[in-house]
Amino acid sequence: MKNNIKDKPLARRQLLAGMAGLSALSMVPPAFAQAAQAAAAQAAANGKVLVILELSGGNDGLNTVVPYGDDAYYRQRPNIGIPKSDLRIIDDHFGFNPGMAGFERLYKDGKMAIVHGCGYENPSYSHFTSMAYWHTAAPNSGNEYGWVGKLADAIAPHAPANFLVNIAASQSLAVRSEKHVPVVFDDPNRFMREAFAAEKEALDIVAEIGAVENPSRRFLLDIARSANDASALVRDAWSKYNSPVDYGVNDLDLQKVVALLDADMPTGLYYVSYRNNAFDTHVFQNDLHRRLLTYTSDAVSAFIQDLERIGRADDVALMIFSEFGRRVPENVSLGTDHGAANAMFVVGNQIKGGHYGELPSLTELAQGENLAYTTDFRKVYQTMTQGWLEYGNSANLFGDDFGRFDMFS
Amino acid sequence: MSRGLRSIFTLATFGLALNSVSLMAQQDDLSPISEQDWNYESAAHLLERAGFGGTPDQISELAAMSAEAAVHSLVYFDPTNNSHLLPFEHSGVHEPGLEPFPPSRPATTELAKQTGEALGVKVKPEGNRRLQPVVNKFFYWLRASVLETNRVSYWWADRMVASRNPLQEKMALFWHGHYAVNESKVRDYRKLLNELELFHEMGTGSFRDLMVAVAQDPAMLSFLDAGVNVRGAPNENFAREIMELFTMGVGNYSEMDIREAARAFTGWNYVDLEFVINEQQHDDGEKNFLGRSGNFDGVEIIDIIMEQPVTAEYIASKIYRFFVRDEISPAMAKELGSVLREADYDVAVLLETIFLSQDFYSPASIGSQIKSPVQLAVSTYRKLGLQDAPGVPDFNRATGALSQSLFRPPTVAGWAGGRSWMTPGLLLERGNFARDVLFPDINFVPPDRVNGSSEIRSVADRIREGMDITSATQPSSLGAGGIMAESNMLADRDEEFNTRYGSFRGWQMAIERVKPISRHTARINLSEMLVEQGVENTAEAIDYLLARFMRVQPDNSTRSMLIEFLSDDLGTTSIVAAQTYMEDSLRLVLHLIMSQPEYQLS
Repeated sequence: MKNNIKDKPLARRQLLAGMAGLSALSMVPPAFAQAAQAAAAQAAANGKVLVILELSGGNDGLNTVVPYGDDAYYRQRPNIGIPKSDLRIIDDHFGFNPGMAGFERLYKDGKMAIVHGCGYENPSYSHFTSMAYWHTAAPNSGNEYGWVGKLADAIAPHAPANFLVNIAASQSLAVRSEKHVPVVFDDPNRFMREAFAAEKEALDIVAEIGAVENPSRRFLLDIARSANDASALVRDAWSKYNSPVDYGVNDLDLQKVVALLDADMPTGLYYVSYRNNAFDTHVFQNDLHRRLLTYTSDAVSAFIQDLERIGRADDVALMIFSEFGRRVPENVSLGTDHGAANAMFVVGNQIKGGHYGELPSLTELAQGENLAYTTDFRKVYQTMTQGWLEYGNSANLFGDDFGRFDMFS
Repeated sequence: MSRGLRSIFTLATFGLALNSVSLMAQQDDLSPISEQDWNYESAAHLLERAGFGGTPDQISELAAMSAEAAVHSLVYFDPTNNSHLLPFEHSGVHEPGLEPFPPSRPATTELAKQTGEALGVKVKPEGNRRLQPVVNKFFYWLRASVLETNRVSYWWADRMVASRNPLQEKMALFWHGHYAVNESKVRDYRKLLNELELFHEMGTGSFRDLMVAVAQDPAMLSFLDAGVNVRGAPNENFAREIMELFTMGVGNYSEMDIREAARAFTGWNYVDLEFVINEQQHDDGEKNFLGRSGNFDGVEIIDIIMEQPVTAEYIASKIYRFFVRDEISPAMAKELGSVLREADYDVAVLLETIFLSQDFYSPASIGSQIKSPVQLAVSTYRKLGLQDAPGVPDFNRATGALSQSLFRPPTVAGWAGGRSWMTPGLLLERGNFARDVLFPDINFVPPDRVNGSSEIRSVADRIREGMDITSATQPSSLGAGGIMAESNMLADRDEEFNTRYGSFRGWQMAIERVKPISRHTARINLSEMLVEQGVENTAEAIDYLLARFMRVQPDNSTRSMLIEFLSDDLGTTSIVAAQTYMEDSLRLVLHLIMSQPEYQLS
């Protein structure tokens, strides 16, 4: 049962009025009326929420969804290839990495789409460059805005507050937007000014915009109000969040997403990541990689359970990607080097589960012993923007129409 | 009272003075401002934009000149003004064998296997981990270049704070964003330093000459993979970026123009720090480029690009947006483009026109720019009257947390700038930066000495405890994973090399060689600053601080709040009475001022 969202702003007004304390100086932000409207408007036009999870470092897709039915896989990876007997078999050709009980369950419940062979022309093997291509949806080119930022501009052109949330230490290029102010924070408990006790009340005051003419100053006052509003909302949502669902060792910030959804934040787009290039498994990778996948799989399956707990599982889809896959043959250090095409995943209650796209050949490799991509990754992006969020003008976002998969029920 | 103080008190007394100063100056008008529009406020605006702001004395000095003389002194600066600035002091980390540095660790070990040597290190004839010294050396250079690049950033930050020719530094910062190259790809601080020196030397000269110099600069050649652009298999990356990002902008050339230009740049490469043209790889055939045909080489291609009116408009508009306003009208873009073209691409002429123009001093321009993180830090230090960038907080960390790390622009397109500098979290973080300057963290850990990676730290600990390399390098600290169970540890493994050990050892070798960054904190004495100005009460103190530090004044309620806060904290409204104990309170109130949205404006 969801809270009645109309009650929320009032509760918050009382809360803040109590917090501000400096009676003569406090200015109750007039943005509350707007905030209430924004909350009521919620998410994308169709009420759906898109969450994006980035696996940084280049996840080894071949050891994530293992094509055990293809002998070439074992020939290319005589030492790090995972034997069929260890895999979590999902059909007569593929099995998940043994560490991925959560993914296996989601797949068998029909809540997971696996899209094979995602990539782009002339792949870059640099983390930095390839990630920027995925962030901007503009391979071998440059764009100052991220594709998620552009998506926010497109589906919420009036840029309501708190529409775009990026949980990260620093803002991802993916959410850089022309119109929106992405709410970027890391630890909800630290999404605040670091201030001495004596200063705190004074710092919580944001001046009225009133008759200010300077547009940059108006913008900054908006940001300041958003910082105060969002930081209070986020800390409040987080303090109220209490879930019995076990996310395992690393929740990949997905608990924070659930907390904000449960607090009826009017957010349509969330962006989180498995950070710090974690998936860059050049050496002795199997134990390490399995562990990374276990954490990912635990967190993702817990996320779906948690969404069901709060009654929002039908409203949310999660898309998972990495900046590249890894080389097909193992290297001499029992790891894998930077590669090209890779599997992507889409998870949620409304997904038509199964395989999408085609696994590239393991024998006819592209330049540098890589998988040749079979699906432009922007087709998956477009599946989310057009199929899930029902935003039709894909050329506006991606410069072209890449088509889409029929993935949602 | 000094002239500067009188002016800023005048401003504070008549709160709206700032908006009325330049009512005569017309937006979108490039003709010079009139004498009556030139005063302390316009001089302050000029110094904010053409430099990084300054102290009241520095502003008064400019205001005492005519507008023409003031702008001239900034644009046509005298290099001998900066005899107090020292050249970069190299730590001496580079060695001849490191060049050419292979693109990756696998490429390095492959080379060592094939030739018995890489990076100037021979493969051990036998025994376990025969390639280990090579791998150690590989990681050594990766770390050393990163650490030394951070020293180059610090050296540059010090120059930005202390230079008497601030426009030279501001223009270098512009070009660094325009010709964005990233340390993580170039992996050689020397190339980055050389490119910065190019911007220092040529930044206000001919754009055409600068473009040629950058196109032949090893940092850029390496960043854009010029080495793979060879006759018969031209790589378009370099030619595309030159046209798309550096000179014309998209839509002003065809894909065919890119391919033809790429042919002209074939064979352009570098050896260590020198530009070379490899004649065997150069395609000397006829090219058809932007409607012209000939056996063009790269320089001729650049000259044809320079003949296009759109090139002058593109670069003049970008310079305008950096120094004046985010938006430029099409008419203004055309007009500035002709100014630049008629001046034969002399950037100084363009800058002089802009800084003297009515448009520059019009209400639409004043106080309308959001400071970049580097600008914020440098102008904070300058306005405090510091002589260099303090070592605590760490300049690179602080600006990085605010989303601008020198030598690490996010993409080849540089920093987006303008409003993208700001997020709610980053606004709070900017206030935190001010606090770290005014109240330095005594638990500060220098990032150029202590490695931030828990992985490397745990390898270091376990090696010191006497573990063998295999055991010591088991991954141990993913999330809250903890140390792997004893039974899972393998005995010392027979292998060619161990990357984790190399990573640890490389760091150890790097910090041995790279000179430390001085970790002094800012010497600030706000009490003395106010007493020298003859400030008597808390209202005057706040007005002085607001005028000194803010180009856009906050509203009256904020001013009252600050006065009340200071009076409460001092227990009196008298600055005279509180003279001996007011430093902490003044710093608190300055932190409040620097946390205001208006402080972010230039």
